[in-house]
Amino acid sequence: MRIHIIGLGLVSALGAGIHSHCEALLENRVGIGPLTLFPTSSHDSFPVGEIPIPGEADGLPRTHHLACLAAEQAMSNVSDAPDAVVVGVTTGGMSATETLLRKKVKDPALYQHHATGSVAAEIARVYDCRGPVLTISTACSSGAAALKLAMELIRSGRAQRVLAGGADALCRLTYHGFSALQLIDPGGARPLDVDRRGMSVGEGAGMLLLSANEPDLALAEVLGAGLSCDAYHPAAPHPEGAGALAAMQRALNDAGLTPADIDFVSLHGTGTRDNDAAEAKAVNALFGQDLPAHASVKGATGHSLAAAGAIEAAISTISISKGVIPANSGCRQPDPALELTPLLAPVHKQVDAVLSNSFGFGGNNACLVMGSPGRYPAPEARAGRRMLRVKGHACITGAGRTRATMHAVRHGKTCAGVLKSGEIAATLSPARIRRLKRFPRLALALAKGASASPDDDKTPEAVFMGTGWGALSETSDFLEQLFATDEQFPSPTDFVGSVHNAAAGQIAMQYDARGANLTMTGGDYSFEQAFLAAELTAGDCQNSLLVVGADEHHEGLSPLFDGSAAQTADCPADGGGALFLDTNGHANAPRIQTVFFENCGKEEDSRPRFGQVMEGLPAFENRYGVIMAGLPAACRRKAEEQLESLLEMSGFKGVVVDYRKYTGEFASASAVAVVMAVDIVMSGRIPASLGSEMEMALGAKGILVAGFGDCMTAIEVMNP
Amino acid sequence: MEKLISELQTKIVDLLNLPDVEPQDIKPEEQLVGGRLGIDSIDVLEMVIMIEKDYGVRIDSRELGVKVFASLETLAEHIHTNASA
Repeated sequence: MRIHIIGLGLVSALGAGIHSHCEALLENRVGIGPLTLFPTSSHDSFPVGEIPIPGEADGLPRTHHLACLAAEQAMSNVSDAPDAVVVGVTTGGMSATETLLRKKVKDPALYQHHATGSVAAEIARVYDCRGPVLTISTACSSGAAALKLAMELIRSGRAQRVLAGGADALCRLTYHGFSALQLIDPGGARPLDVDRRGMSVGEGAGMLLLSANEPDLALAEVLGAGLSCDAYHPAAPHPEGAGALAAMQRALNDAGLTPADIDFVSLHGTGTRDNDAAEAKAVNALFGQDLPAHASVKGATGHSLAAAGAIEAAISTISISKGVIPANSGCRQPDPALELTPLLAPVHKQVDAVLSNSFGFGGNNACLVMGSPGRYPAPEARAGRRMLRVKGHACITGAGRTRATMHAVRHGKTCAGVLKSGEIAATLSPARIRRLKRFPRLALALAKGASASPDDDKTPEAVFMGTGWGALSETSDFLEQLFATDEQFPSPTDFVGSVHNAAAGQIAMQYDARGANLTMTGGDYSFEQAFLAAELTAGDCQNSLLVVGADEHHEGLSPLFDGSAAQTADCPADGGGALFLDTNGHANAPRIQTVFFENCGKEEDSRPRFGQVMEGLPAFENRYGVIMAGLPAACRRKAEEQLESLLEMSGFKGVVVDYRKYTGEFASASAVAVVMAVDIVMSGRIPASLGSEMEMALGAKGILVAGFGDCMTAIEVMNP
Repeated sequence: MEKLISELQTKIVDLLNLPDVEPQDIKPEEQLVGGRLGIDSIDVLEMVIMIEKDYGVRIDSRELGVKVFASLETLAEHIHTNASA
């Protein structure tokens, strides 16, 4: 199957659109300059890759604005809605949020665009996308990882056309955070230079419209993608570039190409000592003596974090369609220790295949291979979807761990609450968690609980994390200390910990999990997104993987960010759930799969949609004994209406559980619900407390865990 | 100097949340980073911030950091020599 790039949009410090980027790259122009967006102390002032447009527009934070500009370009020749939207984002509405927090503004309405997931939601709203709308936050590889998921959505047949990319705006959090890590070059980034001292933080957005259908004119094809995790360190790359090499090799294998096919390597090349050294080793190991043209554009654009992978995929597309290879701007004297010969000036040359690298915190690596339209054989169709089976499950709620939670449920009691920190940490090594606050501790404890399968000593190869809000404690502490010290003494530890994918990185380190490591941040549907990402990439996994959903309650931030938490402020709740999944048909374990994932945005009447969704699905009444319904407090009315429509359309008469009554209100409550469903399916009995008059046999039926509100999602847990 | 060393021992244990380490366990002449105590590169950066905040001494390059953070003794000496107060 071929995946065509039929639309392209990019905004960076070099300009907006294909034409201005082509021009800037040919002139070897550098877009890095003084910061004007927000004031900083003279103590800490360094150049950035800023885009010369006003701070915010139309009441939307800057990241949203940049993403929309890129999407507009990518969609300029297309009138049909995309079937799915996938966006890599790490800062989301942070640029606006940090200003509000500094002023101690307490009105939740003003934080409505804080969520990283709100960027993809905005694009979906503008282009009326009704399919999966996914947000991926794997730090600096997010944009490339988003394109990988977009490819798999098309390959799996779930979508024909996907709008995918990445976006991030400059904000104080990242500006001061990277500075606290001493990763900034005060003279501007000069990747691969002998005197390089670090990166330049930048901003931007890249969006690509991918299509399964052959267009009249494709710009290029996405041929393959590879994901890996270093499982080595929270913020530094593996010194030998082992993870980088694995991701490049996987991308080439996926594309069916060999290193000799590649004409240009678009390096991650941030300009930090460690990244460039590790990447050079990996690139040299892969290509040996026959290293093709290679360059990093980050000396020109700056490092736009979650946007970078998508912007560089867009630039790679320009290389292919226009025959231009950009220069490694900023580098004057290549570092001989790297044994690379980066292009010091742009060249005109036919380019048939590009390898584009993106690496991020948490050891998150994503590489893409793009090629000239029709130039290479269509990659072979992959084997059908793998059935995932649950080998281990665990949850944490206010009531305690899995057993205590299920005990409460069976007695009709709520398990909503905030478990004591000491109880969460009870199973974890003090040395491993000494720098970790509540969210990563929850994640590690859940991973450990789910992986403790007595009949299997295999550890997970890949990790999929879903979190609505991520590391709120680290984020809050970082900003508080930043503001309290007049922006002079931000904590490097809190910055590293504040990154959404830090927890999944910790899990990878715990289990040496070097496969895919994806963190999805889509509000109340984050766990469902993580599970879908796991299904989409399970084909790359030999044995087992871990899917975790978790959120921490933070006294200051949860009520500001999460509308449902704000409505139930008298009953704070958090926790999560984790599944250890087998990809190899492990018998006698419950089967689990996504049944549907639909975006509805502001749609009023959901009945017509359920009518469509249910075409081709088996009859609910015979298939499920229980429907567990997620009705978030913030959109309860709409969610209830959707549930009613679903029940009406399906004729379902079994037990319906409003599971947030048990879990309490937090974004990844659905992860707990899925774990409860697994536990009930394994026991074969529906507890009387859930709504029937007495305990009933579930029989051969399964349980549907359905989410309602801005999205309508369903995951089924079936008997073996 | 002894007072400074003892002050640093307490600050480091608190700041880095080192489990099962008492302030006096950090020996002045012992390797500070990458050794028995489990102190790594992120901890070094955290100490850099603390030292600038509390003593007004800036350590802004990795090369300098390697020398200064060799041991508690070298760290105390660097602070002693460069502190303005």
